[in-house]
Amino acid sequence: MTKQRILVVDDDPDLVRALRLRLKANNFEVSTATDGYSAIATAQKEHPALIVLDLGLPAGDGFVVLDRLQNLDALAGIPVVVLSARDPQANEERALKAGAAAFLQKPADNEELMNVIRMNLMPEQPPQHVAWPV
Amino acid sequence: MDQPTTHVLLIEDNPGDADLVRLRLVEGKFPVEVNCVHRLSEGLDSLARETPSVILLDLNLPDSHGADTFRRVLEHSPDVPIVVLSGQDDEALATRAVHQGVQDYLLKGNLSSNHLERSIRYAVERQALIRSLEMTRKHQIEFKNQFMSHVSHELRTPLTCIHQYVTLLLDGLAGPISPDQSDHLKTVLKSVNQLHAMIRDLLEATRAETGKMRIEPRCLVLGELIQQTVAMMRPAANEKKIGLEIGIDQRLPLVLADPDRILEVLINLVDNAIKFTPPEGAVVVQACLVEADPTMVYVSVTDTGRGINPASKALIFDRLYQDPDAVDNNRAGLGLGLYICREIVRLHGGRIWLASEPGQGSTFTFTLPNYSLPKLLAPVVAYQDRLRPAFVLVRVELTSLSNPPRSNWKETAQQCLEILRRCVYLDKDLVLPPMGSSGASESFFVVASTDLERSASMITRIREQLARVPDFQSKCSLAITVDEVVLPSQMATESLEQQIQTLADHVTGMITHSMQGRPSRPENGNRISPTN
Repeated sequence: MTKQRILVVDDDPDLVRALRLRLKANNFEVSTATDGYSAIATAQKEHPALIVLDLGLPAGDGFVVLDRLQNLDALAGIPVVVLSARDPQANEERALKAGAAAFLQKPADNEELMNVIRMNLMPEQPPQHVAWPV
Repeated sequence: MDQPTTHVLLIEDNPGDADLVRLRLVEGKFPVEVNCVHRLSEGLDSLARETPSVILLDLNLPDSHGADTFRRVLEHSPDVPIVVLSGQDDEALATRAVHQGVQDYLLKGNLSSNHLERSIRYAVERQALIRSLEMTRKHQIEFKNQFMSHVSHELRTPLTCIHQYVTLLLDGLAGPISPDQSDHLKTVLKSVNQLHAMIRDLLEATRAETGKMRIEPRCLVLGELIQQTVAMMRPAANEKKIGLEIGIDQRLPLVLADPDRILEVLINLVDNAIKFTPPEGAVVVQACLVEADPTMVYVSVTDTGRGINPASKALIFDRLYQDPDAVDNNRAGLGLGLYICREIVRLHGGRIWLASEPGQGSTFTFTLPNYSLPKLLAPVVAYQDRLRPAFVLVRVELTSLSNPPRSNWKETAQQCLEILRRCVYLDKDLVLPPMGSSGASESFFVVASTDLERSASMITRIREQLARVPDFQSKCSLAITVDEVVLPSQMATESLEQQIQTLADHVTGMITHSMQGRPSRPENGNRISPTN
């Protein structure tokens, strides 16, 4: 089985390096970006299976990135796990509404982070279509 | 220099006094305009129309007397300075008025222009000063809160980095480490976690202080929450060889509480108990009913520690309070834990207190309201002291399409609940607090004061609103069922309270049936299932 690729976006290069190590140890391929603009560019090039996204970013903050992802057909389906130091009470709902699959506050427990990533990874098969009751 | 005109509202019923005051004002050096009314009601009407520079107020009016008069004016227009006009005989009352927010008082017997003018000028100036102080204070509080929120965010960033690298090393992801090194790193990690907890508490306490703390009460089994707490705290207790026991009254009713928040309170109390109990001691968590207070459940955490001295007892729930006896226990924290506990319990409508004798251990007790359906229903199901004519029970069932549900399933369900609350009439429908959920599906119930036929528009509204949730249709399936609540016809002779109780019993029965997967009223066909 090929390894799934995760894109880590955070403006703190030290944290990006640590997360890269941790994710590699958990059998993922890792791409990284440290600003909003290159996050979109990398996502378009690499088409990751999931994105771990910080909110406070230069060149387009996390919400801008979420918005761009939603509006680019090729990227709209990629699950995004927001990992931010910001107050969840003020940002969690907003992030989920903007299309994030989950919100974790820094510092997050490693096990929890890995669980959330695994749970939200794109399934190998497209989901079965379920008829919507009218 | 041109003096601005002072607008005086004179509330005085005695024509002689009124004329005298007017005369003295007009005689003065500064331009004034006097509006004189004879009753308090007229005065309040005038205040509603325009704001004068100052109010001159006689306390004994045809429609109001004594302290009531200035209280009503203060309540109506807290920002307008008031000078009380007092007779010689009630100077004591006038002094009291000044203590309660009136700017000054004048004795009617010796009014001079000079005197009156100066009093008015001072009253106006003082009031402006008080207002500006109040504004400054508000700004300072706001600044402090923003600062706290900002600081807590900024502290988290480097803390996250430390946490990541320490765990990398500990997990051997940067190469093998010796047992000694591992021990040292575990000590670092412990301190990181303490720092993290303090940052969390800081923000939480700021929220509590500004009334921004929120709870989401559910209908829940308290025993399960206590079991969970004890399981989580067991390792810490074992490490100190402290016994950790549970005593739960089997008759314990369901409670109405936010499980996450109450877990926080329980963990805090048990953690403290373990911290301050010597090795070989015991900590007991109990939940019971108290006959004298049947609407609440009592939860207590008892330890065999050194107890808390009476002087600290009164202050222990205060923000930033540190028990001097506890501080020597190396790291005491910020003194916010019990303050946060108290605020959480208070938001639930409960209270928290402490019983302790030095050397005899301590017992922290808090109360939580029982889940009582009649109590929740009472404000919506009756109108003009009579039960409304018809009720339906609506069940909105969401089932996650992915199994196990995605991590934000809880948030999706919460979002739907909030939408549901906006789809009902707050004065006559009630969205019941959510029941414990079964993982992949969540059911919300609404008791609506309407009949089957008219409930259709509500269902349509719910459906339309839920469909607007982003990705709703790809995340979950929706089933809505509506059942008529059929009440016994002889009920009309009962008291309203009994009728509400009967209604609640019926609703409870229907919900129980429905949750067990059976049709909620098998004996009658009054049901629509607008899912197809």
